[in-house]
Amino acid sequence: MFWIAEGLIYRRQDSVFHTIDPRIKLLISMMLFFLSLVSSTIVEFSIILVLIFFIGALSKTLKRMVRTFVFSLSFLAMIFVINILVGYDIMFSIIISLRFISVVSSTSIFFLTSSPDELELVMKSFYLPYDLIFAFVTAVRFVPVIMLDAIQILDSQRSRGLEIEKGNFIKRIKNYIPVLIPLIVQAIIRSEELAEAMESRAYGFSKKKTSYYSLHLRKRDYFAATVAICFMIVFIYAIYFLHI
Amino acid sequence: MTPLIKFIDFNFSYLDSPTPILKNINLEIKEGEFVLLVGPSGCGKSTLLRCINGLIPHLYSGVYKGKVIVDGEQVSEKNISTLATKVGFVFQNPENQIFMFTVEKDIVFGLENIGVDKEEIGRRLEWALKILNIEHLRYRAPYELSDGQKQRVAIAGTLVMHPKILILDEPTSLLDPKTAYEFISTLKELNRSIGITIIVVEHRIDLLPKVADRMIVMDGGQIVFDGPFKDIIKEKNLHLYGVTVPPIISLQNTLSESGVNLPGYSLDVRSFSEMIKKEVFRND
Repeated sequence: MFWIAEGLIYRRQDSVFHTIDPRIKLLISMMLFFLSLVSSTIVEFSIILVLIFFIGALSKTLKRMVRTFVFSLSFLAMIFVINILVGYDIMFSIIISLRFISVVSSTSIFFLTSSPDELELVMKSFYLPYDLIFAFVTAVRFVPVIMLDAIQILDSQRSRGLEIEKGNFIKRIKNYIPVLIPLIVQAIIRSEELAEAMESRAYGFSKKKTSYYSLHLRKRDYFAATVAICFMIVFIYAIYFLHI
Repeated sequence: MTPLIKFIDFNFSYLDSPTPILKNINLEIKEGEFVLLVGPSGCGKSTLLRCINGLIPHLYSGVYKGKVIVDGEQVSEKNISTLATKVGFVFQNPENQIFMFTVEKDIVFGLENIGVDKEEIGRRLEWALKILNIEHLRYRAPYELSDGQKQRVAIAGTLVMHPKILILDEPTSLLDPKTAYEFISTLKELNRSIGITIIVVEHRIDLLPKVADRMIVMDGGQIVFDGPFKDIIKEKNLHLYGVTVPPIISLQNTLSESGVNLPGYSLDVRSFSEMIKKEVFRND
């Protein structure tokens, strides 16, 4: 599943698209996602994919987007074959496969170009409960920490003779138990310390919690949103009234 | 002068423990003091600190007898969040107290929680970044920081709340000697410049002779020694309580035991060598 992850992980990049308000990036991403669901011809999917790759080029993430695309080819082939096997014709199977790739790529636009920080601000701007936002923030924040813990435990267990790669499929899964148990214990200890530190910094003190950061729409954001909405209207009009 | 922290006939035992972890604690700490708290592992140091910022009894329940008064208010009657504006707590592992994706966002976390307005947050943020000399780390992610930098960020996150007391539980345990020395110097500077009361649990006493005003030694849940640092450090039996006495202090203790009359008592190598030099030249 790493190819999906590669297409969804944010990396700092200096591009025009990165500077757009994250809410607008989310809007563009959602719009392309929606259009991928309503499209049903090769021409329509071609337009969507060209647009997605154009955004990829604009945001300097095209290389990673294409890599994801290449890696997902085997998955695409599987979708195609299963559709054929269950009795759908070739054209329908191609459409379903294209829909899959459009959906994955359109979603990745937002995640490739928005930092977890921006994602947090988007969640705040939607007035989601702060406990939920904080849970998300800490989960993402501690991913590298837990990963380092896992590597350390794996190394220490290997140095004591654990052979992870040995044996058949079931045995290999079992081999991970001596890594997973200490990892879970460590995560629980960490979460206790985290709770202490949160309490010590007044988490949940006031219902009138202030926010030092807020999102502000600028001219370029309005422009991007207008272009996106106009494109969606024209595209839907073309599908339903011009039957492209 | 009214003490800032006061323990009155205080006893505490955790729910899952048959024996009390703190026994008959009577302690007063005044505003502006720099207190070093030492003792063997499991002697109750961390529990004592958790009683000051309210984690005990609010987060850890147990048998709680006696009173702990911080800045005129009884800890058991105030919630931890309220106490967070009076007591800043820096834990042993800074990794677990940096919640946000950037240093700046983490520092303002507490201020947002207590509802400070945006302008004031900005002012306090700039002040904390400057006073801890971490302006260059402002937009860095936690994983891009060294352990020493993380400790400074953790302190900044508590200092912005303008607490009267700063508690640090083994803050240098993950730091190399040079970084640890710089870190302790920063603490003393804070103590001097803003008059904040500092209580630090530290095993590396050699870092603190010129810094701590007072030393408290704990063992088996009780306070066994309490007094000015320069007096307590001379106690002969400190090693029995898991305290590693700096070699320069041990040397002077051994010399005085073997009948050498030293004109004074030095807490560091430089002043000791100057004292000896003066003594030698005087005899010449």
